[in-house]
Amino acid sequence: MISLRALAIEAGGFGVGPLDLDVPVGEYAVLLGPSGAGKTLVLEAVAGIRPVRTGAVLIRGEDVTRMPAERRGVGLVFQDGLLFPHLTVAQNIAYGLGAAWPAWPGRRRRALRPGVARLAAETGVTELLDRRPATLSGGERQRVALARALAPGPRLLLLDEPLSAVDADAREGLQDLLRRLSVDDGLTVLHVTHDLGEAFAVGGLFAVLVAGRLQQVGALYDVLRRPATVEVARFMGARNVFEARPVPGDSSRLALAPGGTLRISGPAPAGVRHAVVRPDDITVLPEKYPSIGVGENVLAGRVRRVICAGATSVVEVDVPPLFRAAVSARELEALGIEPGIMVGLHVPAAAVHAV
Amino acid sequence: MSGRRPSLFWAACAVAGALLVAFVVLPAASMIAGAGAGFLGEALRQGDIRRSLWLTVSAALIATAIAFVVGVPLAYVLARRDFVGKRAIEGLIDLPIVFPHTAAGIALLTVYGRDGMVGRLLAPFGISFTETVAGIVLAMLFVSLPFLVDTARETFALVDERYEHVARTLGSSPGGAFLRVTFPQAWRGVLAGAVLMWGRGISEFGAVVILAYNPKVISVLTFERFEGFGLRAAQPPAVLIVIVAFVVFLAVRAVLLPRRGRLRKGAP
Repeated sequence: MISLRALAIEAGGFGVGPLDLDVPVGEYAVLLGPSGAGKTLVLEAVAGIRPVRTGAVLIRGEDVTRMPAERRGVGLVFQDGLLFPHLTVAQNIAYGLGAAWPAWPGRRRRALRPGVARLAAETGVTELLDRRPATLSGGERQRVALARALAPGPRLLLLDEPLSAVDADAREGLQDLLRRLSVDDGLTVLHVTHDLGEAFAVGGLFAVLVAGRLQQVGALYDVLRRPATVEVARFMGARNVFEARPVPGDSSRLALAPGGTLRISGPAPAGVRHAVVRPDDITVLPEKYPSIGVGENVLAGRVRRVICAGATSVVEVDVPPLFRAAVSARELEALGIEPGIMVGLHVPAAAVHAV
Repeated sequence: MSGRRPSLFWAACAVAGALLVAFVVLPAASMIAGAGAGFLGEALRQGDIRRSLWLTVSAALIATAIAFVVGVPLAYVLARRDFVGKRAIEGLIDLPIVFPHTAAGIALLTVYGRDGMVGRLLAPFGISFTETVAGIVLAMLFVSLPFLVDTARETFALVDERYEHVARTLGSSPGGAFLRVTFPQAWRGVLAGAVLMWGRGISEFGAVVILAYNPKVISVLTFERFEGFGLRAAQPPAVLIVIVAFVVFLAVRAVLLPRRGRLRKGAP
């Protein structure tokens, strides 16, 4: 288990924590959050390259909070790989195997060769061993950086946005490699990113950090469908967040502050302050849809704006309040949706999340 | 924008640059031409010039070596750490640049001279900084130290600190990360700073002449010959030191500038 206990970090007047997080051995955990949330500070504190203000970092039960980075047994891969530019790929990997000097002569260097070859084969960089880092593509660099980080046999692998600087093809290959390292080799991973796609492709456990506070820890559908806070909901892409209160006498209906009500599945928990709906849970209906005005959670409104984003667009519909619905290009064309027309919105009760 | 403007701009830059290069090259070329053919052999046959040249080059080298040992760690700390008084230390290190060099000599004399605080302490051990090689090294060190420290600090700052973080997680101590990861990426800049410092050292006159008129470094010898015997007598040592400095600078530039092939391979 990798445990953070009331961990607080401060850097340049910005504070993170105190936060608690448990990552079971062999788990692939993703620390998610918007830019500037403090994710990298947490990663650096776990790695031992940034001092903590209070709290503790435990790796497999051992308190490593005051332990220097070189004794913690953690591997670290940054977004840009940060391969040592004065060394070849083989020398970079050998560094992690304990090569005292890059050009260490004779027996010691020969002894490292099998280890370098094994790691290179595992990460798919065998053909690159004699190359210099500057000649590698983004994906190749990350593979070498992974091989180097794995070389000392770390107890925990720390990844700081490792896929954000690589192209789509290389990204898929790296995602497979990362999953394989975690699932097949049982490696514990803490991966930091702001990219939801990157996170969902590899992660098993998700921790959401916003503005230095750990907001929620859970599985994919916990954080995606059942956000614990408005901040998590917004970060996860729920673009319909309304102030709301249970309707007096009907706790399974929420009264939205801007006006109107929404039915939810089951009674609202105590202390509900917001109603959250993801755009992809809303169905846009044609104006003449027969259930307009009579169906449960079927609302009529005028299209204010259509934001095209390729295969899926966002349609803003003024009910009020202003709802945002995700619509495929096919539906957009079929329904003839354009600014100014009236449409219906179906918001399933199960898709309304009370926060 | 019209198509002619950029070419006019570049032409103006070229003219300005050519004027500047001529301004630098003309005096040196004129001095060398004025010395006449065969001056080099003649100059090297003169014992006082030979001794003075060796003294100048070696004293500047010793000063640079001392600055390397104490200045590179300081430059690294200044590049990597923030602490109270850091700005003050950076300013103090640069102080010799703005010191009039004769004033620097006087200042050094008050501390390291026979009656100076340190001079008195070291005198019983036979260490003196007046009229000795040690004094020359001290003067050169004082006036040229900022060139090494500043260049090294800027070079270290250009090396991403996260390289060291990665090296630490791979088992290196802070010192190991510096020696194996940071310094190999920064050595060209540090060497450039050392050469600048050495070059500044061999040209020093003001501080040296106050602290140690004798033994004579080349700048003092040139001055003495000019005062005593005129321009012709002063030219051989002056030309000699210019040529030595020029050759060293060219050689170091050849080492510092990466070759095209190495650039293609991504060598630093």
